[in-house]
Amino acid sequence: MLIVALIFAVVFCLNIGFAPISFSDILAILGKQIPFLNGSINSSSVSNINETIILQIRLPRILAGAIVGAGLAAAGVMYQGVFRNPMADSYLLGASAGASLGYTLTAIYAGSLALTFLGLGIFQVVAFTGAILTVFLVYFMSRIGNKVPVTTLLLSGIVVNIFILAVQTVFELRSGKALMGIVAWIAGGFTNITWLDIYAVFPFVLAGVIIAYFYTKDLNMLAMGDDTAQHLGVNTEKVRQILLLTASLITGAVVSISGVIGFVGLIIPHMTRLVIGPDHRILLPTSAIVGAIFLIFCDSLARVATGASELPVGVITALTGTPFFIYLLRKRKTSYSL
Amino acid sequence: MVLLRVDGVECRYGSVKILEGVNLSVKEGDFVGILGPNGSGKTTLLKSISRTLKPHKGTILLDKTDIYSMKSVDLAKHMAIVPQESNIGFSFSALDIVLMGRNPHMKRFQMESEKDMAVVKKAMLRTNTWHLADRPINELSGGEKQRVVIARALAQEPRVLLLDEPLTHLDMINQLEIMDLVKLLCVKEGLIVLAVIHDLNLAARYCNSALLLKGSRVFAAGTLDEVLTSENIKTVFKVDAIVRRSIVTNSLFVIPLSPQKPSSPRNCAIHIVCGAGTGTLVMKALADEGYEVTAGVLNILDTDYETAELLNIPTVNEAPFSPITEQTKRANLEMISKAAIVVITSVPFGYGNLSNLEAALWAVKQGIKTYIVDEVPIEGRDFTGGKATALIAELRKHGAISINHPSELPTLVNATHDRMELCKHNQTEIPGHMKNTEPITKPLDSREPS
Repeated sequence: MLIVALIFAVVFCLNIGFAPISFSDILAILGKQIPFLNGSINSSSVSNINETIILQIRLPRILAGAIVGAGLAAAGVMYQGVFRNPMADSYLLGASAGASLGYTLTAIYAGSLALTFLGLGIFQVVAFTGAILTVFLVYFMSRIGNKVPVTTLLLSGIVVNIFILAVQTVFELRSGKALMGIVAWIAGGFTNITWLDIYAVFPFVLAGVIIAYFYTKDLNMLAMGDDTAQHLGVNTEKVRQILLLTASLITGAVVSISGVIGFVGLIIPHMTRLVIGPDHRILLPTSAIVGAIFLIFCDSLARVATGASELPVGVITALTGTPFFIYLLRKRKTSYSL
Repeated sequence: MVLLRVDGVECRYGSVKILEGVNLSVKEGDFVGILGPNGSGKTTLLKSISRTLKPHKGTILLDKTDIYSMKSVDLAKHMAIVPQESNIGFSFSALDIVLMGRNPHMKRFQMESEKDMAVVKKAMLRTNTWHLADRPINELSGGEKQRVVIARALAQEPRVLLLDEPLTHLDMINQLEIMDLVKLLCVKEGLIVLAVIHDLNLAARYCNSALLLKGSRVFAAGTLDEVLTSENIKTVFKVDAIVRRSIVTNSLFVIPLSPQKPSSPRNCAIHIVCGAGTGTLVMKALADEGYEVTAGVLNILDTDYETAELLNIPTVNEAPFSPITEQTKRANLEMISKAAIVVITSVPFGYGNLSNLEAALWAVKQGIKTYIVDEVPIEGRDFTGGKATALIAELRKHGAISINHPSELPTLVNATHDRMELCKHNQTEIPGHMKNTEPITKPLDSREPS
């Protein structure tokens, strides 16, 4: 049912934009892309411009929103489960800070270089590298012997985040003209998404969610506490490593194309948990789909909300998500705990 | 056949030794109580056996396999743990929680089979939690939650069950039900149980052997009769306790007396006429106040005799179930003559111990302050055809004071003691108050030679 809702959301949002394109045209354009069906669809009424707008501008952007939303929400579920902490979100281990710093440095020192890597822009590659490097730094900083205590990891994450933010500020102050671009990127958005970005990021998110799904039962037991999970036969250290690595790869990947979009990785898992309960076997896939739908709508709003200029999508996620979350939280009779 | 073997285990937190030199071998059907005061290493031992805290030295073998070389999932098929407190934050249903116990028996993507469901249902029925199956765990009461956790442990179908203070949150009926169930599994299905238990009486009732820890070492190990003695309890817990065998449950039971107060010695002797357990509280209370308590005549094997032994109270004693002989009576008078105060408890009087009352009468005639505890009126405990009643009446006539309950004694005695102190300092001002002071003042004088 949620998947149907997701498809509906995609089509519905394709309709949102300044060039008015009818639903029938959208369906015709989409139908043409599906093998076996294209012969039976009459697309004569659809103009080439509209087709380009739908396929090259709106569709990649919407799909990117779906992928990023799903990735952030799924990573949020994993982090919250692994850390048994409701404050954990997908940027906890420094992925956002690392990516931002990478982007900033590139913008200042290498912005004019038209380097590409596997067809991807240098910004994406550096942001991804920055995110992953930061997460590894945090992880190995917290390592004591061959164990990584959860509290140490949380603290290291927070401290490294703050440290990188400080470094980031120093560079921002010296960035001059590039500053506007940096600020806009950090606020998050899907302005210049191409199909290439989607091809690059989708495998990370899909593979990550599938890998994580293998470990959802272990996540349920981790919720009982480390010792209990171990006594129930969970190799806690290994499961934690796998899930942290997976979640970090997802986050790194999505951050590299969307910038830092807050709120989704923190609140979507909570919202979903409030409605469907704590069982990760359901929570993980549901959160991913809810995250996707949520971000598609938020991005569509961001595109059209204030006329010609776009709002950063992070603003929309927070503005629309918070009231709904508070409503869910208040509706519950019993207290909510992670 | 020995199944679980702990060999020379030593555990440390940092450089601090928490446990050292622990050996233990357990076979099928054993119910081992791990006893000891706080900080003696009980939980640490359980942690090292449950593979949570790797020992610094020594090995823990299950079926001759070192548990630290096993995968956690393999160990979980054989061993289940009920922790001290289960902090379950997420609102899983009770059924979800118990189903987690099947995890070690399932493959990663396998769904619960009918067999798994059957095992889970059985475990929940046994722990009386089946009716809670759909309730969220964080809305259950402490006792219900703990029973769900025990059901989860049973769902693992373990051969070894470790319980870490499992009954902390349970009321009496829950405690007994759970322990009865665990004991049944022990006896019928050969389950091995290792339980950290603070309540010595529960341990005595259900365990068939025990390990008593003191200061990170094993102080005593063996059957409960060997381990649970009042000497051991006194040394390890620093609490005087009476250990008896219950006729009803045929298990030992422990009556802890309050820990000895380090009150300053008063250098004042009090003799107690008691027997049949009527003197136990009185002896303890007055000894705690710092008096030099003596008692007699007591028959050996009498409850009060055992209490006196335990509290290191000097007694004049007589062979078991024998009447008091002239010789013993004289020894008793000797002892009474050194006392400043005499207390007669509500002990029943027969011809065997009637001479204790005669001795008390002698004391009161000597001017020794005498208290009679009249908890039960003398008529109800006089088995001498009125002779004891007559003696009590005469005691009263000579100034013995009746009180209703032994709990009034310490205050009264303290007041008397203080007054005597005062008299001793102002002897000239109240002449004649202590006419026959010879036996009384002697011990008092010896305290202050001036």
